[in-house]
Amino acid sequence: MKRYYLLAAVICLLILGPVAAVSAHGVDISYGSVNSIEITAKYDTGEPFSGAQVSVYAPNNPAKIWAAGKCDAQGRFTFTPDPALPGVWDVQLREAGHGAVAHITVAGAVQSGTTGFTALQMVLMGACVLWGLAGTALYFSRRKS
Amino acid sequence: MHIPDGILPASVCVGGYITTGAATWYSLRKINRSENPREGIPRASLLTAAFLVASWVHIPVPPTSVHLLLNGLLGALLGVYAFPAILIGLFFQAVMFQHGGLTTLGVNATIMGVPAMIAYLVFRARKIFGADKRMVTGVFGFLAGASGVALAAIAAFALLITTIPSNIDVAAERTAIITVTLAYIPLMLLEGVFTSLVVSFLLKVKPELLEGR
Repeated sequence: MKRYYLLAAVICLLILGPVAAVSAHGVDISYGSVNSIEITAKYDTGEPFSGAQVSVYAPNNPAKIWAAGKCDAQGRFTFTPDPALPGVWDVQLREAGHGAVAHITVAGAVQSGTTGFTALQMVLMGACVLWGLAGTALYFSRRKS
Repeated sequence: MHIPDGILPASVCVGGYITTGAATWYSLRKINRSENPREGIPRASLLTAAFLVASWVHIPVPPTSVHLLLNGLLGALLGVYAFPAILIGLFFQAVMFQHGGLTTLGVNATIMGVPAMIAYLVFRARKIFGADKRMVTGVFGFLAGASGVALAAIAAFALLITTIPSNIDVAAERTAIITVTLAYIPLMLLEGVFTSLVVSFLLKVKPELLEGR
Protein backbone atom coordinates (compact mmCIF):
# COMPACT_ATOMS: atom_id res chain seq x y z
CA MET A 1 0.00 0.00 0.00
CA LYS A 2 2.84 2.33 0.92
CA ARG A 3 4.48 1.62 -2.41
CA TYR A 4 1.31 2.51 -4.17
CA TYR A 5 1.24 5.94 -2.50
CA LEU A 6 4.86 6.52 -3.40
CA LEU A 7 4.16 5.66 -7.05
CA ALA A 8 1.19 8.01 -7.07
CA ALA A 9 3.34 10.77 -5.61
CA VAL A 10 6.01 10.23 -8.28
CA ILE A 11 3.38 10.26 -11.05
CA CYS A 12 1.90 13.44 -9.61
CA LEU A 13 5.31 15.10 -9.55
CA LEU A 14 6.01 14.04 -13.13
CA ILE A 15 2.77 15.59 -14.27
CA LEU A 16 2.95 18.73 -12.11
CA GLY A 17 6.65 19.35 -12.76
CA PRO A 18 6.23 20.48 -16.39
CA VAL A 19 3.11 22.40 -15.43
CA ALA A 20 5.00 24.27 -12.76
CA ALA A 21 7.80 24.97 -15.21
CA VAL A 22 5.31 26.31 -17.76
CA SER A 23 3.60 28.52 -15.22
CA ALA A 24 6.96 30.29 -14.64
CA HIS A 25 6.50 31.80 -18.12
CA GLY A 26 3.08 33.14 -17.34
CA VAL A 27 2.93 36.91 -17.00
CA ASP A 28 0.50 38.60 -14.69
CA ILE A 29 -0.46 42.12 -15.52
CA SER A 30 -2.13 44.36 -13.05
CA TYR A 31 -3.25 47.74 -14.25
CA GLY A 32 -4.70 50.97 -13.02
CA SER A 33 -4.55 54.61 -13.97
CA VAL A 34 -1.83 56.79 -12.46
CA ASN A 35 -1.24 60.50 -12.42
CA SER A 36 1.91 61.20 -14.39
CA ILE A 37 3.49 64.57 -14.87
CA GLU A 38 4.77 65.58 -18.26
CA ILE A 39 7.33 68.33 -18.47
CA THR A 40 8.03 70.26 -21.64
CA ALA A 41 11.14 72.41 -21.52
CA LYS A 42 12.05 75.04 -24.06
CA TYR A 43 14.70 77.71 -24.30
CA ASP A 44 13.29 81.22 -24.21
CA THR A 45 13.91 81.30 -27.96
CA GLY A 46 11.27 78.57 -28.33
CA GLU A 47 13.71 75.79 -29.20
CA PRO A 48 13.10 72.54 -27.32
CA PHE A 49 15.53 71.83 -24.47
CA SER A 50 16.30 68.44 -25.98
CA GLY A 51 18.71 66.02 -24.36
CA ALA A 52 18.63 67.85 -21.04
CA GLN A 53 19.33 65.73 -17.99
CA VAL A 54 16.41 65.57 -15.61
CA SER A 55 16.65 64.93 -11.87
CA VAL A 56 13.46 64.49 -9.87
CA TYR A 57 13.50 65.09 -6.11
CA ALA A 58 10.74 63.78 -3.88
CA PRO A 59 9.27 66.02 -1.13
CA ASN A 60 10.54 63.80 1.70
CA ASN A 61 14.22 63.95 0.68
CA PRO A 62 15.26 66.99 -1.33
CA ALA A 63 18.91 65.93 -1.28
CA LYS A 64 18.52 62.56 -3.01
CA ILE A 65 17.54 62.00 -6.63
CA TRP A 66 14.27 60.08 -6.73
CA ALA A 67 14.27 59.56 -10.48
CA ALA A 68 16.50 60.63 -13.34
CA GLY A 69 16.31 60.66 -17.10
CA LYS A 70 16.66 62.75 -20.20
CA CYS A 71 14.31 64.97 -22.17
CA ASP A 72 13.40 63.66 -25.62
CA ALA A 73 13.95 65.58 -28.86
CA GLN A 74 10.88 67.72 -28.16
CA GLY A 75 12.17 68.61 -24.68
CA ARG A 76 9.58 66.37 -22.99
CA PHE A 77 10.01 64.21 -19.90
CA THR A 78 7.38 62.22 -18.07
CA PHE A 79 7.48 60.81 -14.56
CA THR A 80 4.95 59.36 -12.16
CA PRO A 81 5.25 60.76 -8.64
CA ASP A 82 4.55 58.42 -5.76
CA PRO A 83 1.00 59.32 -4.61
CA ALA A 84 2.03 58.41 -1.06
CA LEU A 85 4.39 61.40 -1.03
CA PRO A 86 2.28 64.53 -1.40
CA GLY A 87 4.07 67.85 -1.38
CA VAL A 88 6.36 69.80 -3.63
CA TRP A 89 8.31 67.73 -6.13
CA ASP A 90 11.36 69.46 -7.53
CA VAL A 91 12.31 68.71 -11.10
CA GLN A 92 15.69 70.00 -12.18
CA LEU A 93 16.81 70.16 -15.78
CA ARG A 94 20.33 70.93 -16.84
CA GLU A 95 22.54 70.82 -19.87
CA ALA A 96 25.86 72.61 -20.26
CA GLY A 97 25.22 75.23 -17.62
CA HIS A 98 21.71 75.94 -18.85
CA GLY A 99 18.88 74.76 -16.74
CA ALA A 100 15.86 75.43 -14.59
CA VAL A 101 14.00 74.00 -11.65
CA ALA A 102 10.24 73.43 -11.59
CA HIS A 103 8.48 73.09 -8.23
CA ILE A 104 5.41 70.93 -8.77
CA THR A 105 2.88 70.60 -5.98
CA VAL A 106 1.42 67.12 -5.95
CA ALA A 107 -1.70 66.87 -3.79
CA GLY A 108 -4.56 64.96 -5.30
CA ALA A 109 -5.07 66.34 -8.77
CA VAL A 110 -2.06 67.93 -10.42
CA GLN A 111 -2.67 71.22 -12.13
CA SER A 112 -0.74 72.32 -15.13
CA GLY A 113 1.61 75.22 -14.78
CA THR A 114 4.56 77.04 -16.20
CA THR A 115 7.66 78.59 -14.70
CA GLY A 116 7.97 81.46 -17.16
CA PHE A 117 6.09 84.65 -18.00
CA THR A 118 3.91 85.44 -20.98
CA ALA A 119 5.33 87.47 -23.85
CA LEU A 120 3.26 90.51 -22.84
CA GLN A 121 4.55 90.38 -19.26
CA MET A 122 8.11 90.12 -20.55
CA VAL A 123 7.70 93.10 -22.87
CA LEU A 124 6.13 95.22 -20.11
CA MET A 125 8.81 94.34 -17.56
CA GLY A 126 11.54 94.93 -20.12
CA ALA A 127 10.11 98.34 -20.98
CA CYS A 128 9.94 99.29 -17.28
CA VAL A 129 13.57 98.33 -16.64
CA LEU A 130 14.80 100.08 -19.78
CA TRP A 131 12.86 103.21 -18.88
CA GLY A 132 14.37 103.09 -15.40
CA LEU A 133 17.86 102.99 -16.87
CA ALA A 134 17.11 105.73 -19.40
CA GLY A 135 15.62 107.84 -16.59
CA THR A 136 18.76 107.36 -14.51
CA ALA A 137 20.86 108.50 -17.47
CA LEU A 138 18.65 111.56 -18.01
CA TYR A 139 18.70 112.44 -14.30
CA PHE A 140 22.47 112.39 -14.04
CA SER A 141 23.03 114.22 -17.33
CA ARG A 142 20.72 117.16 -16.52
CA ARG A 143 22.24 120.60 -16.56
CA LYS A 144 23.16 122.10 -13.24
CA SER A 145 20.87 125.00 -12.46
CA MET B 1 26.83 82.27 -19.87
CA HIS B 2 24.12 83.15 -17.37
CA ILE B 3 24.39 80.20 -15.00
CA PRO B 4 20.99 79.60 -13.34
CA ASP B 5 20.24 78.57 -9.76
CA GLY B 6 20.86 75.00 -8.76
CA ILE B 7 23.67 74.21 -11.20
CA LEU B 8 26.68 75.12 -9.11
CA PRO B 9 27.58 73.91 -5.62
CA ALA B 10 27.00 76.36 -2.76
CA SER B 11 30.72 76.90 -2.12
CA VAL B 12 31.21 78.18 -5.69
CA CYS B 13 28.23 80.54 -5.30
CA VAL B 14 29.71 81.95 -2.08
CA GLY B 15 33.10 82.32 -3.77
CA GLY B 16 31.43 84.18 -6.65
CA TYR B 17 29.87 86.64 -4.20
CA ILE B 18 33.23 87.21 -2.53
CA THR B 19 35.01 88.03 -5.82
CA THR B 20 32.08 90.18 -6.92
CA GLY B 21 32.17 92.06 -3.62
CA ALA B 22 35.89 92.70 -4.04
CA ALA B 23 35.56 93.84 -7.66
CA THR B 24 32.57 96.10 -6.84
CA TRP B 25 34.44 97.65 -3.91
CA TYR B 26 37.48 98.28 -6.12
CA SER B 27 35.38 99.80 -8.92
CA LEU B 28 33.32 102.04 -6.63
CA ARG B 29 36.44 103.27 -4.84
CA LYS B 30 38.03 104.13 -8.20
CA ILE B 31 34.87 105.94 -9.29
CA ASN B 32 34.63 107.82 -6.01
CA ARG B 33 38.22 109.01 -6.30
CA SER B 34 37.73 110.27 -9.84
CA GLU B 35 37.31 113.99 -10.44
CA ASN B 36 33.57 113.91 -11.01
CA PRO B 37 32.05 110.56 -10.00
CA ARG B 38 28.63 111.43 -11.45
CA GLU B 39 29.99 112.15 -14.89
CA GLY B 40 30.10 108.56 -16.10
CA ILE B 41 26.71 107.52 -14.75
CA PRO B 42 24.53 108.46 -17.77
CA ARG B 43 26.79 106.51 -20.10
CA ALA B 44 26.98 103.56 -17.71
CA SER B 45 23.20 103.57 -17.32
CA LEU B 46 22.55 103.55 -21.06
CA LEU B 47 25.11 100.83 -21.68
CA THR B 48 23.49 98.75 -18.91
CA ALA B 49 20.28 99.03 -20.92
CA ALA B 50 22.18 97.92 -24.03
CA PHE B 51 23.65 94.99 -22.07
CA LEU B 52 20.13 93.97 -21.01
CA VAL B 53 18.71 94.19 -24.52
CA ALA B 54 21.70 92.34 -25.97
CA SER B 55 20.88 89.26 -23.91
CA TRP B 56 17.55 89.00 -25.77
CA VAL B 57 19.29 88.90 -29.16
CA HIS B 58 19.88 85.25 -29.89
CA ILE B 59 22.27 84.16 -32.61
CA PRO B 60 21.83 80.60 -33.84
CA VAL B 61 25.11 78.67 -33.90
CA PRO B 62 24.05 75.12 -34.76
CA PRO B 63 23.44 72.93 -32.83
CA THR B 64 22.90 75.54 -30.14
CA SER B 65 22.39 79.28 -29.94
CA VAL B 66 24.19 82.05 -28.10
CA HIS B 67 23.23 85.58 -27.23
CA LEU B 68 25.27 88.76 -27.34
CA LEU B 69 27.24 89.49 -24.17
CA LEU B 70 28.68 92.96 -24.89
CA ASN B 71 30.88 92.73 -21.78
CA GLY B 72 33.97 93.63 -23.83
CA LEU B 73 32.20 96.69 -25.25
CA LEU B 74 31.10 97.78 -21.77
CA GLY B 75 34.64 97.38 -20.52
CA ALA B 76 36.12 99.41 -23.38
CA LEU B 77 33.60 102.24 -23.10
CA LEU B 78 32.96 102.37 -19.35
CA GLY B 79 36.26 101.47 -17.73
CA VAL B 80 35.80 101.27 -13.97
CA TYR B 81 32.03 101.75 -14.35
CA ALA B 82 31.82 98.47 -16.30
CA PHE B 83 31.70 96.09 -13.34
CA PRO B 84 28.86 97.82 -11.44
CA ALA B 85 26.98 98.24 -14.74
CA ILE B 86 27.22 94.51 -15.49
CA LEU B 87 26.25 93.64 -11.90
CA ILE B 88 23.10 95.77 -12.13
CA GLY B 89 22.25 94.37 -15.56
CA LEU B 90 22.64 90.79 -14.31
CA PHE B 91 20.53 91.57 -11.22
CA PHE B 92 17.60 92.69 -13.38
CA GLN B 93 18.03 89.73 -15.73
CA ALA B 94 17.95 87.32 -12.77
CA VAL B 95 15.08 88.93 -10.86
CA MET B 96 12.77 89.81 -13.73
CA PHE B 97 13.55 87.48 -16.60
CA GLN B 98 14.83 84.32 -14.85
CA HIS B 99 17.98 84.67 -16.88
CA GLY B 100 20.66 83.56 -14.45
CA GLY B 101 19.76 83.43 -10.77
CA LEU B 102 20.19 85.20 -7.47
CA THR B 103 22.37 82.51 -5.90
CA THR B 104 24.63 82.59 -8.95
CA LEU B 105 24.59 86.40 -9.34
CA GLY B 106 28.07 86.66 -7.84
CA VAL B 107 29.46 83.93 -10.07
CA ASN B 108 27.90 85.40 -13.21
CA ALA B 109 29.08 88.92 -12.38
CA THR B 110 32.59 87.58 -11.91
CA ILE B 111 32.46 85.55 -15.13
CA MET B 112 31.37 88.57 -17.18
CA GLY B 113 32.57 91.55 -15.17
CA VAL B 114 36.20 90.63 -14.59
CA PRO B 115 36.77 90.01 -18.35
CA ALA B 116 35.15 93.43 -18.92
CA MET B 117 37.74 95.02 -16.63
CA ILE B 118 40.49 93.20 -18.54
CA ALA B 119 38.96 94.35 -21.84
CA TYR B 120 39.25 97.91 -20.53
CA LEU B 121 42.97 97.40 -19.91
CA VAL B 122 43.34 95.90 -23.40
CA PHE B 123 41.56 98.86 -24.97
CA ARG B 124 43.62 101.34 -22.96
CA ALA B 125 46.79 99.72 -24.30
CA ARG B 126 46.04 101.38 -27.67
CA LYS B 127 47.56 104.57 -26.25
CA ILE B 128 50.99 102.98 -26.71
CA PHE B 129 50.41 103.08 -30.48
CA GLY B 130 48.53 106.35 -30.61
CA ALA B 131 44.93 106.65 -29.42
CA ASP B 132 43.93 109.03 -32.22
CA LYS B 133 44.75 106.70 -35.08
CA ARG B 134 41.63 105.12 -36.57
CA MET B 135 43.37 101.89 -37.46
CA VAL B 136 44.81 101.44 -33.95
CA THR B 137 41.46 102.22 -32.27
CA GLY B 138 39.68 99.75 -34.55
CA VAL B 139 42.15 96.94 -33.89
CA PHE B 140 42.15 97.46 -30.13
CA GLY B 141 38.36 97.71 -30.15
CA PHE B 142 38.28 94.29 -31.79
CA LEU B 143 40.72 92.89 -29.23
CA ALA B 144 38.72 94.32 -26.32
CA GLY B 145 35.37 92.99 -27.60
CA ALA B 146 36.79 89.57 -28.45
CA SER B 147 38.75 89.19 -25.21
CA GLY B 148 35.64 90.02 -23.13
CA VAL B 149 33.72 87.12 -24.68
CA ALA B 150 36.69 84.76 -24.83
CA LEU B 151 37.64 85.19 -21.17
CA ALA B 152 34.02 84.91 -20.05
CA ALA B 153 33.59 81.70 -22.06
CA ILE B 154 36.80 80.23 -20.66
CA ALA B 155 35.81 81.12 -17.08
CA ALA B 156 32.32 79.61 -17.48
CA PHE B 157 33.77 76.50 -19.14
CA ALA B 158 36.30 75.98 -16.34
CA LEU B 159 33.63 76.43 -13.66
CA LEU B 160 31.05 74.15 -15.28
CA ILE B 161 33.40 71.35 -16.29
CA THR B 162 34.89 71.04 -12.82
CA THR B 163 31.57 71.06 -10.95
CA ILE B 164 29.56 68.41 -12.82
CA PRO B 165 27.71 66.46 -10.10
CA SER B 166 28.42 62.73 -10.16
CA ASN B 167 24.73 61.77 -9.96
CA ILE B 168 24.05 62.71 -13.58
CA ASP B 169 25.47 61.44 -16.86
CA VAL B 170 28.90 63.07 -16.62
CA ALA B 171 30.10 62.19 -20.14
CA ALA B 172 26.99 63.58 -21.82
CA GLU B 173 27.13 66.75 -19.73
CA ARG B 174 30.82 67.23 -20.55
CA THR B 175 30.11 66.90 -24.29
CA ALA B 176 27.27 69.39 -24.00
CA ILE B 177 29.46 71.92 -22.17
CA ILE B 178 32.18 71.64 -24.83
CA THR B 179 29.62 72.07 -27.63
CA VAL B 180 28.17 75.21 -26.03
CA THR B 181 31.61 76.67 -25.34
CA LEU B 182 32.70 76.17 -28.97
CA ALA B 183 29.64 78.15 -30.04
CA TYR B 184 31.20 81.19 -28.36
CA ILE B 185 34.05 81.29 -30.91
CA PRO B 186 31.89 82.85 -33.67
CA LEU B 187 30.33 85.14 -31.05
CA MET B 188 33.79 86.26 -29.99
CA LEU B 189 34.64 87.30 -33.56
CA LEU B 190 31.25 88.95 -34.00
CA GLU B 191 31.53 91.00 -30.82
CA GLY B 192 35.10 91.91 -31.69
CA VAL B 193 33.93 93.33 -35.03
CA PHE B 194 30.94 95.02 -33.39
CA THR B 195 33.05 96.67 -30.68
CA SER B 196 35.59 97.73 -33.31
CA LEU B 197 32.81 99.40 -35.36
CA VAL B 198 31.35 101.16 -32.30
CA VAL B 199 34.67 102.61 -31.12
CA SER B 200 35.66 103.63 -34.65
CA PHE B 201 32.33 105.40 -35.04
CA LEU B 202 32.72 107.14 -31.66
CA LEU B 203 36.26 108.20 -32.52
CA LYS B 204 34.85 109.92 -35.61
CA VAL B 205 31.79 111.63 -34.10
CA LYS B 206 32.47 112.00 -30.35
CA PRO B 207 36.09 111.18 -29.51
CA GLU B 208 35.79 112.57 -25.97
CA LEU B 209 33.67 109.51 -25.09
CA LEU B 210 36.73 107.33 -25.64
CA GLU B 211 39.02 109.01 -23.15
CA GLY B 212 38.74 105.85 -21.11
CA ARG B 213 38.28 107.19 -17.64
